[in-house]
Amino acid sequence: MSTSHDAHADDHGHGHHGSPFVQHHYDDAQHQFDSGKLGIWIFLAQEVLFFSALFVAYILYRVHHGEIYSYAHKWLDVKMGAINTAVLITSSLTAAWAVRCAQLNQRRGLIFCIAATIACACGFLVIKYIEYSHKYHEQILFGRYFDPCETPGGNPLITKSNDCPGRLGTVKWDFGAGKATEGCFESSTIDLDPREPGVQAECEVFEVKLGHDGKPEESSKKPITNVCAPKIGHGEEWEKNKFPCWMPSYQPAVCPDLTDPAKRAQGAAGRPQVGIIVSYGEDDHEHRPHSIIKAECKKPAPPPAVDLTTEVEHHKLELGRGLAKTHVEEHHGHDLLYAGPPPEHTNMFFTIYFAMTGLHGIHVLVGVFVFIWLLIRAIKGQFTPDYFGPVDYAALYWHIVDLIWIFLFPLLYLIV
Amino acid sequence: MATTANRQPDGPVKEPDFLHVTRGLRSWLLTLDHKRIGMMYLCGILISLIVGGAFALIVRTELWAPGKLFVSGDTYNNFFTLHGAVMVFLVIIPGIPAALGNIIMPIQLGAPDVAFPRLNLASFYLWVAGALLLVLTIPFGSLDTGWTLYTPYSLETKTPVLIAVSGVFLLGFSSIFTGLNFLVTIHKFRPQGMGWFQLPLNVWAIYATAIMQVLATPVLGITVLLLAVERFAHIGIFDPNMGGDPVLFQHFFWFYSHPAVYIMIIPGMGVISELISTFARKPIFGYRFVAYSSVSLALLSFIVWGHHMFVSGQSRLANMVFSALTFTVGIPSAIKVFNWVATLYKGDIRLKTPMLYALGFLLLFTIGGLTGLFLGILSVDVHLHDTYFVVAHFHYVMMGSTLVAFLGALHYWYPKFTGKMYPESLGQLCSLGVFFGFNLTFLPQFVMGSRGMPRRYWDYDPQYQIFHQLSTIGAYVLGISIFISVVSLFWSFKYGKKAPRNPWGGSSLEWQAPTPPTLYNFENPPVLHELYNYDDLEEIEPDVWVRNTPIEDAPARADAIARQTGAVADHTHGASLKEKAISDVHAKAEEVRAEHKLTETSHGRPVDPAKIDQDFKDAAKVSGAGEVMPTAEKVEEVEAKDKPGSVTQGWDVPEVPSDDKEKK
Repeated sequence: MSTSHDAHADDHGHGHHGSPFVQHHYDDAQHQFDSGKLGIWIFLAQEVLFFSALFVAYILYRVHHGEIYSYAHKWLDVKMGAINTAVLITSSLTAAWAVRCAQLNQRRGLIFCIAATIACACGFLVIKYIEYSHKYHEQILFGRYFDPCETPGGNPLITKSNDCPGRLGTVKWDFGAGKATEGCFESSTIDLDPREPGVQAECEVFEVKLGHDGKPEESSKKPITNVCAPKIGHGEEWEKNKFPCWMPSYQPAVCPDLTDPAKRAQGAAGRPQVGIIVSYGEDDHEHRPHSIIKAECKKPAPPPAVDLTTEVEHHKLELGRGLAKTHVEEHHGHDLLYAGPPPEHTNMFFTIYFAMTGLHGIHVLVGVFVFIWLLIRAIKGQFTPDYFGPVDYAALYWHIVDLIWIFLFPLLYLIV
Repeated sequence: MATTANRQPDGPVKEPDFLHVTRGLRSWLLTLDHKRIGMMYLCGILISLIVGGAFALIVRTELWAPGKLFVSGDTYNNFFTLHGAVMVFLVIIPGIPAALGNIIMPIQLGAPDVAFPRLNLASFYLWVAGALLLVLTIPFGSLDTGWTLYTPYSLETKTPVLIAVSGVFLLGFSSIFTGLNFLVTIHKFRPQGMGWFQLPLNVWAIYATAIMQVLATPVLGITVLLLAVERFAHIGIFDPNMGGDPVLFQHFFWFYSHPAVYIMIIPGMGVISELISTFARKPIFGYRFVAYSSVSLALLSFIVWGHHMFVSGQSRLANMVFSALTFTVGIPSAIKVFNWVATLYKGDIRLKTPMLYALGFLLLFTIGGLTGLFLGILSVDVHLHDTYFVVAHFHYVMMGSTLVAFLGALHYWYPKFTGKMYPESLGQLCSLGVFFGFNLTFLPQFVMGSRGMPRRYWDYDPQYQIFHQLSTIGAYVLGISIFISVVSLFWSFKYGKKAPRNPWGGSSLEWQAPTPPTLYNFENPPVLHELYNYDDLEEIEPDVWVRNTPIEDAPARADAIARQTGAVADHTHGASLKEKAISDVHAKAEEVRAEHKLTETSHGRPVDPAKIDQDFKDAAKVSGAGEVMPTAEKVEEVEAKDKPGSVTQGWDVPEVPSDDKEKK
């Protein structure tokens, strides 16, 4: 009784309209092709809407916090982005070419084009991986994990995690003990009395070139701005919660009121410290004997109404002799130079960057699998001028993935 | 040949029906047949309906008295969240389109299946996976965010938001793929001769719904995806601590969820158009307006989402714009309601169960729609926002309208796809129970909402107790009625009386298909008749309708019918332009007489040739209405162009599709 209608499921795979891939419920191959084409176009409309929320988020945050975008986009590598754009456009060409090959029954060309598309897609993903991993090491990540080691110009930033190996030379100066606790100090003339209540120190950091005789030439004194010297607290080394910490070189350091017995009881821990961070690249160790870094700290005059007797004292602090070439010099004249601290909530840029490029990357990955499936079918010779729908649909999908990237690249990388 | 088959509705069908083509669990689980997939959806949805209803009853029972009755505040939060999530995502959204639409829509098109059967099956399993994930939240502590998942609470709560949003994501894609499938099916699988305006209104509604499913649901997808990533990777997009914007979540959410409300209601409206026309035995009034209003509702749905957020910190300008746009929604909705009422007017109304649900829908939808206007007014909304007034309003629309339409549709098409009749009087009783239970539940909520009872509260001031108690009693009446009708439907599947091919005298194509349909729906290619024309359908015994000589086959008979009813015979081959003109004049004169109370109107009785002159005089009283009768020259001129045998509007070339299909 049911022999002529055995398993509906089986019937779907093997139609009876010529091509073995035309399903039973279509009138003919053309009907199936047209239906599939309409279906994929609707699917693409769906894809556009799927991405739309992210574009809306991009626009909204851009309108409200334009400064974040113009600051943070400099962190992105335009070269990499441009190469990726070229790679994707090429892959779109090969995908379109694959459709043509299928229509013309050029099996070898079809296989080549599909393979080239897969290769380009993989290339895109590899480049994206390089970009991502660089950002991972630099801690330029989204949301809570945004903790960059440097500004886009290469200036150092104090990080929440302090996990930027080889990037920052950190020097902390313990006023009370009169020595550096970390870093490469050589000598210091600073002498602030920690027991003096309310004492402040303001430090300025200079680069001083060394003359031929190896002595510093005071005339070459030049202030360094890529220094982060956060305010010191009561026994705390850094104001860790204040983030990101980028400050100009001229810093007040507040000494605690050690007349307070409770604070004096803390001993050394209660002493004020000033921390000065100077950036130097790893290779800079090789070129030390050109200049030295100096910090001059002074006790500013307190407000007259408070204490009329305190004199202004100048102190000199000599830091790491021979930090020859700082990034300041390397990038001199460059636009990115002296980029200040990131504006508040710069993490939002990278939230949006990673959300958009990540979702796009997932689509590329899906595309790779789709094209691998096509490649297998093409090698089996299943595509003919009468039946090439899947190639066409996949190519259309691939074009929208490409198109989304064409929007992402300028929006994220190029627009200031 | 095909018509012969139609005249013997219960004659033997040579092929096995789709329920018996293959046997065994595997043949169901892996089926690609749209009817079986639809029936699996239906089972899942009915089970979810009962589960979601049980949650609602727990909530209502707890609210019987102020303070703790039997569940704690936290558990209460879980139950109302689950009730909302299950009902919205698992029942109402897929209810009519995915379940009944899947079963009926391709048959209404005369198609053998949907365009992409495998995708259809995939949609179903996405639905199953999504449903299982929602259920899985229960052992993991159960969700307490409300179905809206608002940030920042949904970022902070310890309850399993991640599992729930994964489920919602899958359910969303299930909905998208269903919509995509239906769009392609409606575009590409109409038989030759069935133009856009020969589509049943149910198909139009499903088309409008599918547009929204495809274009709105992706936004939900990306929103819950971002929410999920926010939960486990703290990207900060919705987290104000990191500079994110929690209100953005609301915008995204309502950009989907407002169209989702229309995804729920528009299929219901499509069903109601079918039910009212069939059971009033009259062509639907204003077919094109009803069709267009579905599509315009779909388009409007995308630009009114902000009216859910009047008190969420939108700008005042945005509030005003969204408020103004919200009122435009009233226009297509009112067009539909007026057209349905006009269809009922002077109809030969038969109060079968589906019709009782349809009439209930009319009233409930009107209340739900009008109270929506209250909430669209900015100043009023500030007072009513987050009160029981809102709860009552959206239950009138989502449940009172959509679910009632769903139940009506279920009873209407049940005989077609199961081949069994349900017990009629029990069905009628349950439909009355649903109607009265529903009103008892939600009318008091309008009152207490307007008096300030906030929604989602576990405890309340004793002054509201009487309303809560009425509401709870109503909820039990409603719940029991639905439960009985669901059980009776399951019961009838096995024990019901055998159903004829056309138990209601419906005019669309599914009633030409065997009951239950065969694997590819029709044993012979279906013949197109004029839609919503019931002139040649006759009830030969209770609940058995047959098509007499279709009017398309017998122009003379069509003319006779037209003259009997006094209608313009423009749907027949036979009427000459002159005859039509006379009919026009007669109709015009009728209007004038009714207006001016000239003489007793004929109520559309046949045109008496002797009185044509009088008709002319009466019609001329409209004064300046232009030519009521074409001049003789003009008639000849037009008739020369309009050769006899050319196709008139309404039904094109009925024979062509059959020839076409026979070739294969």
